[in-house]
Amino acid sequence: MQFVLQTLVGGIGLGAIYVLVALGFSLVYRTMGLVNFAHGDILMVGAYLAATFFISAKMPFWVAMIIAIVATAVIGLVIERILRPLENKDFDLMLIGTIGFGIMLEGIAILIWGTTGEAVPTPIGGAPFELFGIFIKRYELVVVVVAALASLVLWLFLDRTKQGIAMQAVAINHEEATALGINVGRSNAIAFAIGSGLAALAGGLAGPILYVSPTFGSSLGIMGFSAAILGGFGNIKGAIVGGLLFGILYAFASGLSQGYADLVAFVVFALIVIVRPTGIFGESTVNRA
Amino acid sequence: MVQRRIRTAALFAGAAALGMLLAGCSAPGANKGANATDSSGPIKIAIVDAQSGQLSSLGDWEAKGAKMAFDEQNAAGGIDGRKIVYTVYDDQGDPTTSTNLANKLASDGNIAMIGTAESADSLAMAPIMAQNKIPMITSGQSPKLGELHNSFVFLNSPSSTAYDETLAKYLVNDKGYTSIAMISNNGAYGAGERDAFKASLKDLSVSPAADQVVTPDQKDFSSALTQIRGKNPKVLFIGAEEVETGLIVKQARQLGIDAVIAGGAPAGTPVYVKTAGIDNAEGTIVSTPYLGNDTNDQTKKFAADYKAKYNETGELHGAKAYDGAKILIQALQNSKVATGQALSDAIRAVKYDGLVGHFDFDENGIGVHETQIGEIDQDGNLVAANG
Repeated sequence: MQFVLQTLVGGIGLGAIYVLVALGFSLVYRTMGLVNFAHGDILMVGAYLAATFFISAKMPFWVAMIIAIVATAVIGLVIERILRPLENKDFDLMLIGTIGFGIMLEGIAILIWGTTGEAVPTPIGGAPFELFGIFIKRYELVVVVVAALASLVLWLFLDRTKQGIAMQAVAINHEEATALGINVGRSNAIAFAIGSGLAALAGGLAGPILYVSPTFGSSLGIMGFSAAILGGFGNIKGAIVGGLLFGILYAFASGLSQGYADLVAFVVFALIVIVRPTGIFGESTVNRA
Repeated sequence: MVQRRIRTAALFAGAAALGMLLAGCSAPGANKGANATDSSGPIKIAIVDAQSGQLSSLGDWEAKGAKMAFDEQNAAGGIDGRKIVYTVYDDQGDPTTSTNLANKLASDGNIAMIGTAESADSLAMAPIMAQNKIPMITSGQSPKLGELHNSFVFLNSPSSTAYDETLAKYLVNDKGYTSIAMISNNGAYGAGERDAFKASLKDLSVSPAADQVVTPDQKDFSSALTQIRGKNPKVLFIGAEEVETGLIVKQARQLGIDAVIAGGAPAGTPVYVKTAGIDNAEGTIVSTPYLGNDTNDQTKKFAADYKAKYNETGELHGAKAYDGAKILIQALQNSKVATGQALSDAIRAVKYDGLVGHFDFDENGIGVHETQIGEIDQDGNLVAANG
């Protein structure tokens, strides 16, 4: 029982990171209808920025995080601006564009930070909390709280604000939204900026748990992408449930199957998606070629 | 719609991978350089190491050590008046990329190879290198490399068997520990460590308190560590690369495991200490053939030269590759720049007192058979263990 609970706690800790990654993927998809394949690499850049300001510039961790989030949001704006001429012309080309930006960002990161990677000290040290023999790491508790807050704010923004609802309207019907006077370009830019900021939040928070390197984004990106699909791509609730579920799934797979965690986690993932191709909260809000 | 986009993306990714694969392969008939008996012009040697990816710190050290030896030789006039021209190939720590490179470096006309730092990559490359008759001096240390019985494969350090026999004897016989838990990954290096350490413990009539296996890409070790914590071991043996070893130790301490940490070469590196944090890494027991830069005059000179050239502190991996490159240079000199099987025979014949020990290659290509025991001190440095 203790093993089950301890594994569950570990799974939720990492699952919270996957939630943030999945949220970024889902937000851009929900509002633009675009799978942003540069998301993982934006996350990596965000993680590096946070780590650099935290370690080298010796800033408090939360300040480093805010700088990283703002900087990556700007990167997101730039990517959206460059891809904008393709909007409504060639969606597949836009998709390849995001893959290209991802590769470019990885190259730039290697130029700036080198290839060896960076070990980030845990900003909140101290002994773990002990609850009925279960250890809860202090820092992971913070990660879970931050992820929960970010999810709540994003959900409120999309479903309760005019701007958020307008952004979703753009994705559902581009022409009608334009006719109604919604600025599609600006709406997409905001989506990309928030998505990128979320990536930096995920990457920055994951840094002290993992190890920041130029390929950091690809492994976390795959996990977040799978989590988003598991929950129902484009669905905010789905991203949260999918992220947590994937984290827990992975933790149990690695606990039970002696080193074949990737295989087991992804086989289970594939089975769920075969049974329910649209994910747990399966809804397709976007239907645009 | 989602599926369609994903399918398109997958298609492009597949096409890109195919493109890279084709670029890596040589055209038929292009493989002329390998066995060329051109006795003038530069001597082409390949350095294959990860220059990107999670294992790139290893690759970086190895490549620097090898480059230093070749640059020194060139400064001293080369070999028989011929310069050594080396090319660094980035294997990304990925066996698939490595196999492509094995073909590419042959078609590029290289007559020998230093690398890779990775057992998995070296194992993947070995058959292709033998096919192309190009000797490789690898820094991998998986016992499987020796078991290949491939006459073109040489190890520039002891194999895991030597590392772990020394470590197990120290822990059990000298320190009297019998409650020893193991955690290792199922990659080529980790699996080699697991087998070698387990066999060494068995010889000493000790059975491990726990034997957890993780994957090389795993980041969260809660479940494996929880099971280990349940056994309350005195020692935790880790068979994984630098970064992963650091993450395991960091998380073990966070979960309240206070066992002494023990491991092979990765646990003696600055990357491990930095990843784990000095407080967590202090007291780690390390089995290594290279105890530090101040051991003797040879290591002092190596460290000073390394510092002067790269403005970095020299360490085990650079030293291993430096030794390997020096042995290759000696073999090239002795054989008047032979190629193929003759060069391989010349390498096997070299007896060399290197930075990581005395080299005398056996039929499996393993040159050094002993390691020493070190310890991480309170400043995060590797020092000789005090009994």
